[in-house]
Formats: sequence, structure tokens, C-alpha cells
Amino acid sequence: MENTKTLQFEKPSFFERLKGMLGVDFYRLFHTPLFYIFIVIAALIPALVSMGAMGEGETAGMFTNAWQIIAADSPLYIVHDMGEYANMNMVFIFGGIMVSIFIGHDYRSGYVKQLFTTHAKKEDYMISKTLVSAFSMVCMCGTYLVGGMIAGAATGLPFTINAGSLLCAIFGKVIMSLGWASLYTFINIIFRRKFGISIALCFVLGTGIPVIGAAALVGNTAALNIFLYGSSVQACLSANFASVIVCLACSLVWAAIYNVLGSVILYHRDVY
Amino acid sequence: MNAIEIRNLTKTFREKRAVDGLSMTVPQGAIYGFIGENGSGKSTTEKLICGLIQPSGGEIKLFGKDHRDQGVRSQIGVLIEAPGCFPNYTVWNNMKLQAANLGLKHEDEEIRRVLHLVRMDGAASNKFKNCSLGMKQRIGIAFALLGNPALLVLDEPINGLDADGMRIMREILLGLSRRGTTVLISSHILGELEKIATHYGIIRNGKMLREMTAEELNANCPTYVALKTDDMEKAQAILQRAFGRADMDKQTGEIRVYNVYAEDVAKYLFGNFGIAVSEIRTAKISLEEYYINLMQEGRK
Repeated sequence: MENTKTLQFEKPSFFERLKGMLGVDFYRLFHTPLFYIFIVIAALIPALVSMGAMGEGETAGMFTNAWQIIAADSPLYIVHDMGEYANMNMVFIFGGIMVSIFIGHDYRSGYVKQLFTTHAKKEDYMISKTLVSAFSMVCMCGTYLVGGMIAGAATGLPFTINAGSLLCAIFGKVIMSLGWASLYTFINIIFRRKFGISIALCFVLGTGIPVIGAAALVGNTAALNIFLYGSSVQACLSANFASVIVCLACSLVWAAIYNVLGSVILYHRDVY
Repeated sequence: MNAIEIRNLTKTFREKRAVDGLSMTVPQGAIYGFIGENGSGKSTTEKLICGLIQPSGGEIKLFGKDHRDQGVRSQIGVLIEAPGCFPNYTVWNNMKLQAANLGLKHEDEEIRRVLHLVRMDGAASNKFKNCSLGMKQRIGIAFALLGNPALLVLDEPINGLDADGMRIMREILLGLSRRGTTVLISSHILGELEKIATHYGIIRNGKMLREMTAEELNANCPTYVALKTDDMEKAQAILQRAFGRADMDKQTGEIRVYNVYAEDVAKYLFGNFGIAVSEIRTAKISLEEYYINLMQEGRK
């Protein structure tokens, strides 16, 4: 052929690639009604929980302090009543649903097909999705916190608390968003277009049922902190700086594991 | 340098071998018409080239490098099936996202350029879901053209296009080829492909049946004289003896005699045997006919 192009095989750096991909994912996040719907849902959960606690019946009086809507008093993996269970950890259940729908659309629309024919690397995709999903869950934690405070005030519960422990509990839970986001991203790249399965699985894992079940067998042991739900639970109202470190370590380690596993799967499986 | 070089490529889905030891070569700057029946392995091969699916065996090189090489990937534009767009976003926003993924520096300028190239300047503000099939195909081409890639892989890009759309597509692809872009294009609309392709690859059951240049195809597609007489059987036997080959076309009811002049045939029949020719025309075997014959031979 006479008219051949002079080719330049430019390899963009990791940060250049990630910048582009994060830009796209954040744009999509902020332009999907789904994100705002889940933000509102997260704000409404504490209201619903506290309303139940105010009524008559089994749930009545399950909170004695307004901050119990945010985190449990102590790291209890075995749940005795709704008051010990219903707190900011519920954000991670709804976060899983949101992430599943968000990533599922990548596959349904054919966006991944468009993406993976460019220079994009599979690990970039995992990292970008994890970070954006984590961000969305942090936002949900934020609105849950605001909703929880309003609900607490509305129910007339006392706000007396050790501020340091409360901050450690909130930071711990917020940090766990990263680990949960990586788990949900991982699940979604396995089931891809079948995001109904992803939603169901994310829901089950998000509820912490496997860890609660394990706790029923092995007892209320700190060893369960190695799991995402375990660490999320131990970020409670008696938390300290060490609890935050545990959350950070757990979240980072699982994020790394799921990102590596997800990248390996993406590299070895057909993308579209 | 070859733009695409594939050796012994295989792809197995569970028990089905979709691509079976396929080898093909696409020279740089060529418009390579990739032809085959439904399910012959065209789309699978294209997805393998683009890295969307993993090969079970074999080797794919693009511009002399492994097809997974990041540098090479930045030189490929792809339209496989339909463009991967978010239906609720505008065409412009969808293109912005792709431009960001490609890391383009002057995004807006580039988007305007490719939309203009596919005559879709006015569609930028339309939501993708509101675009017609033909518009979506053209937007898909615009997607593939973002970043001015050196290799375009297009799977059935002219499906759903009206006559004007096909003409525009033809002009775009010829223009790109003139500027040195290599185009791998699969299509069932062989008449359209014949107008632009410089090379052909015919695939059947995941294997490359034949690869050839347009010149080679031309040589394999002789001109012929098609005629009708009042005594077709007798005329066919006479022409068979005289010219070595005279086929009866069952579809048109004509006798075909190859590489001869119409005037000579008519004179020969009437002058020597008194057989009058009622209709006569000169034609050339088209790519479509060549392809159908090849497929029929393959089945036998």
C-alpha cells in the first residue's frame, strides 16, 4: 500500500489512563438519577428505623441513645434485636444494589465493549469502579449520618456520647466503604449483564448474614474482624483509634484482593 | 508492514469451535472485505482482534506487535455490532466519555471533526436512544474514528443504512484508505463491499476459505455473454463445443458463455446453425456470485 500512516504507539501512563476512566465514571455517577435516589434512601433509612423503634411492639425502645442509630454500642456479631443491627452498616446493603445497577449498565449498554477496545487496562477498570462506588457509599454514609441525627432529635433520644469513640465509629464505617465497594465491583464483573444475580448476592453479603451465621457458630470473637462485615460492626460506639486502624487494614486488604482477583478474571475471560 | 497478521487462530465456546485455525493477513492501508455466512466466525474473529474475547490458541499481531499491546490498542477504532452508548445520554456526551477514555487532548474539536465526517453534525444534542438505526450506525463509525486510528475494525457497519447513508459510508472509507487507514470490514452487502474493498477474505466454519486482492478477484470473475434463443438446449450444446464452456443459468433462463464478445456469439449461432438470438447482454460475475459459487463448491 502506498499511503501508509506513520504510526506512533503511545502508551499512556497509569495515572493518565485512570484519570480518564475516573472522569468518565464520576460523570456517569453524577448524571444518573440512581445515585441521588440512593442518597435519599440512605437519609431515609434512619427515619424508618427510629419510627419503628418509637412504635409499640418488639422494636419499641430498641434505642436508648440517638447515636445508636449510627452504630451499635459494642462489637456484637451475634444480633439479638434490630437495635443492634439497624445502623449505618445498612448503607452497605443499599450500596451493593446501587453498585450492581451502576456496573450492570456498563455491560448492558455495551460501554465495556467500547472501553476495552481502547488502551484501557482491566485493572484500571477495577480500580476506577471501586473508587467511584466507594465514593458513592461514602456519600450515602454522609446522608445516613444527617438522617440519623435528625431522626434521633425527632425521637427525643439523648445525644450523650464519647465524641472520640463516635468519630472513630463513623470514620471506621466510612473507611469500610472501600472494601465493600471492591467486593461489589468484583461480584459484578463475575455476573456482568446478569445484574439481578449481582444485586441478590450483594444484598446477602451486605446484610452480613454469613458473618452473623459464623458468629453463631464460633461465638462473638474478634477474629471475625477479618471480614468486611466484622470490621464494619466493630466500628461501634465503644471504638477507639485501633478500631479505625483495623477497619483501614481490613478495607485495604480486601480491596487489594478483590481488585487483583477481578483483574485476573477480566484478563482471562471474554469481556463482551 | 501488515496491519493485521493472524496465524492459526482458534476460539472455542464450550464445545463449539467458532474460529478454527484461521490465518489472515491484512496489509496496511487496505480495505479488507471480510465475508462469510452467518455464524461463520467473522464477528468472533473481529472481537478476538479487538481483544474483547480471549483466543483459545494462535497468534494475532497488529502492526507487528501483539494485539494486547497498549500502544497498538490506541491505534484501533472499533464498531462491533452496535456502538456501546448510554441510551439516555446525548450523542455528544457519549462521545465525550469515549474521548476521555481515549485520553484525547482536544476532545471537543475531535468530536466535531468525526461527527462532521459522518454527516451527523446536527445530531450531537440528540439523545442516543432517540436516534434511528441508520444514525446509530453512523455514530458508531464516528466513535470508531475518534483519535484518528490507524486501523478500523467494522462489523456490519452498513446494515440499516439507506442508499444515501451507504454512499456516505463508502466515501468515508475510501477517504480514510487514501490517507493510509487500514479498514477491516465485514458485511453481507457484497455489492457495496465490491465498490470499496482492495482485499478480500472469505471465511467458512471458522476457517479461511480464500484470501485475495481485488485484482485477483477480478481475474476470477470473468466477463460473460448471457443470451436467450428459441432453442436453448441446442444452442447450449453448440456453444459448449465451440467455446469450451456454456452454462445454463437456471434463475434467469439464460445461457452464459465466458470471455467472448456478444457479437461473435450471435453471429456464430445464426450464421452456422440458423439459431436466432432473442436477447443478449454482456456482464461480469459479481463478488456476490463468486461468493455464492464458492460456498456451493464448499458444501459439495
